[in-house]
Amino acid sequence: MATIREKGYHHWEGRLKEKPRAFWPIIRTGIKLAFERRRFKLLFAFSFVPAVVYGVGVYVSERLEDFKFMAQGAEKTLQVNPNFFKSYLTLDIIYFMILLLMSLGGAGLMADDFKHKAVQLYFSRPLTKLDYLFGKAGVVMFFVGVLTLVPGILLLILKLLFSGSFNFFLNYPWLLLSIIFYSAFLMLFFAIFVLFCSSLSNNRNYAIAIMWSIYIFSDILGAILKGIFRSPYSSLLSIKANLGQVGAAFFLLKPPYDYPWYLSLLTLSLFSILAYVAINRKVRGVEVIR
Amino acid sequence: MTAVIEAINLSRWYGHVLGISEVNLEVQAGVTALLGPNGAGKSTLMKIVTGQLKPNIGEVRIFGEKVWNNRHIFRRLGFCPEVDAFYEELSGFEFLSGLLSLYGFSQAECQKRAERALEAVELTEVKNRKIKSYSRGMRQRVKIAQALAHDPEILILDEPLSGLDPLSKRRIIKLIKELKGQGKTILVSSHVLPEVEALTSEIILIHQGKILARGDIYFIRELIDTHPHMIRIKSPQFRELARILAGEDYILDISFRPSEQAVIFETHHRDHFFSRLNELILELSLIIEEITSPDDNLQAVFDYLVGK
Repeated sequence: MATIREKGYHHWEGRLKEKPRAFWPIIRTGIKLAFERRRFKLLFAFSFVPAVVYGVGVYVSERLEDFKFMAQGAEKTLQVNPNFFKSYLTLDIIYFMILLLMSLGGAGLMADDFKHKAVQLYFSRPLTKLDYLFGKAGVVMFFVGVLTLVPGILLLILKLLFSGSFNFFLNYPWLLLSIIFYSAFLMLFFAIFVLFCSSLSNNRNYAIAIMWSIYIFSDILGAILKGIFRSPYSSLLSIKANLGQVGAAFFLLKPPYDYPWYLSLLTLSLFSILAYVAINRKVRGVEVIR
Repeated sequence: MTAVIEAINLSRWYGHVLGISEVNLEVQAGVTALLGPNGAGKSTLMKIVTGQLKPNIGEVRIFGEKVWNNRHIFRRLGFCPEVDAFYEELSGFEFLSGLLSLYGFSQAECQKRAERALEAVELTEVKNRKIKSYSRGMRQRVKIAQALAHDPEILILDEPLSGLDPLSKRRIIKLIKELKGQGKTILVSSHVLPEVEALTSEIILIHQGKILARGDIYFIRELIDTHPHMIRIKSPQFRELARILAGEDYILDISFRPSEQAVIFETHHRDHFFSRLNELILELSLIIEEITSPDDNLQAVFDYLVGK
């Protein structure tokens, strides 16, 4: 080691943690920045409406006698079974809310770094590219988890509380795992999807536009091709349809479309891999040439 | 003495564009200036030194350790990029604390260090204001603060004085000198010679991706002195001024610009020239409207060095 000519400064006496979780501060900052937007806070609160409605549904399902006047004809809908949980986690409005939340709190995750050229600040610190990507993905995963995993588990707990017995749990012992794994799948997919869109532009507004375009256009394209070719396989082009198809498989239910669920899983996985490769290249490509 | 930063046979190109070529370099403790015109390869070299770019050939070692893919070395290194790299919505304090947390400091330590760094760059008063409301000078100082907040032994400052007003420049020069006094190794890039003169006498000249020369500021001055200077003087009495100075032996050439009411002198001895000019101004009450040096820039020295 070189000799320092004159040393007037004092090193920190504490012990630095070796960072196996160097991505935590990035996740924290991302979440904090999202909540600094007032619109985001409102939207975040509003995004729990479906969960509250489903929670009420669980309560009503246990008190059908009391709510007979309201629930007439809806007994089947109010039946709490795996399909009830699957329907919550594959609701269009949930995906919509996720995308809406990510428009405000996720689209800028990488776009803003590119815009402000902040990537070089990360990589001149003891941080690997994987830490950086994991940190950014963690922000999306947190919000998707709050909208899927947390209400999913809470609904299950409510069901047990309102029914006053563990029979439901014993009847469907795998349901908790289904909720956890499908939520984790959604968290992972949306993390890659949002980061992919965010990495495509230096402007968060463009990233938002790209995100919605891919999501909506894939659905429209699937529907158009289905109309033309009358083939259920056309739905493989739709992100929403694929998520619904995979969701049904996770809950051991009949898939909504007439083709094997694993094709949907394969399509989404392929998309995710390609998106990851693109993100990885984009981060590596951030080099200022002067 | 072992070099703090050592670049061995570094080359980096971008497709067909050469960034730097066969750079061999040793940087010791103290302030070293990397001097070169825009596009010379300064930022490329700094990015390689800070491990953000991988050289195509060669390697960089800091304290004897390889830099590329060695994230641990970044604890000992602070980097201030040339371009603004901020989260505008954060305050200066939040920005620094957030970046410090990436090093693994506790939250309390992050806050303490952020405070200390902001104090060092005289931004304590505005620490809670959002960065987007900061002036150019403040932004530059926040950038420097983020580089030194974790108390690194090495500071890499890419054009830290660029675009600053004189007061902000003076502040930053003072700060860099203080950091030098603390024993840090500072590599600073610039394309403006007077800025560098104020910072250090240790200079590395880089041009078109190659290290042209290395030495202290007097070496550069000597080069400049052996290279004829052009001095343009705008004055209503430009003809009279030319007539008087024509007899001086250090004047090599005189050319007139009547339309601009100016005269251009070529001399080997700048100091003699200006000393005589001062005398003449006092003796003859000459009105001088403007004094400029058309080639008093690095490019002229570089052109001279590469034999253009």
